[in-house]
Amino acid sequence: MAQTLDRNETGTESDQSSAAPNRAEARMWYYMRISGLILVFLALIHFAITHIVNDVVETDFAFVQTRWSNPLWRFFDWTLLALALSHGVIGVRTIAEDYIRKPRLRVAVKALLFTVVAGIFLLGTITIVTFSA
Amino acid sequence: MLSRGTVYKGKTGMWAFTAHRVTGFLVLMFLLLHVVDVTLAGISEHLYDTVHAVYGNVLLRLFEVGLLGALVFHALNGLRIIAVDFFDAAVRRQKQLAWAVVAVTAVVTVLGGIVIMLPFFTHKPVF
Repeated sequence: MAQTLDRNETGTESDQSSAAPNRAEARMWYYMRISGLILVFLALIHFAITHIVNDVVETDFAFVQTRWSNPLWRFFDWTLLALALSHGVIGVRTIAEDYIRKPRLRVAVKALLFTVVAGIFLLGTITIVTFSA
Repeated sequence: MLSRGTVYKGKTGMWAFTAHRVTGFLVLMFLLLHVVDVTLAGISEHLYDTVHAVYGNVLLRLFEVGLLGALVFHALNGLRIIAVDFFDAAVRRQKQLAWAVVAVTAVVTVLGGIVIMLPFFTHKPVF
């Protein structure tokens, strides 16, 4: 796997002191491609519905109410939320690994990133699940 | 961390690599904001509608066109990355693929941009 990672853009393969970090990197490498492939459809469909098929001012409270009266739309939105946030957090983590050289600063930035994204995921999940249509 | 430099060789690939990171970061930042504004719908109908109406002004519509461009570029370039990772034919044509990504992104963003901007001037939805 290390050979494969050396050729790709994840750029986080420098720590080769043990096999475990590389296994985690490889899993993330695959996760980014699989989640990305699904997100191409979910994110673009979502944007098309809320900005192209409907004008942005039409997606008011009544629109949300109608849409979330169907549990399948709640499932669609939650799947998009979960995939987009996890894809995004792994992507920004890789950027932090690449560009932040000071170890303590890097740890601090990643801790902040994970905390903020976890909080937003919780907020979004609560909103989708508890909204009364 | 990164002492040997990053990996996609060649100008086009490196440029696409950087743009992929920038657009990905920006889309994530918007997503964080977007979750907060939808959360308002769970709190109060009036609060959500008041805040949501702001998305209809001209500056935020321009911002939405930018979001569309970033999203489409990131999606198509992501497909290019997957193609280059798994198919030799895509490696051989990676430069053409990168330019195809830019071209399709430009066309979709301009067409989508017209649909997004027009209602601000006509005061009625395009579709």
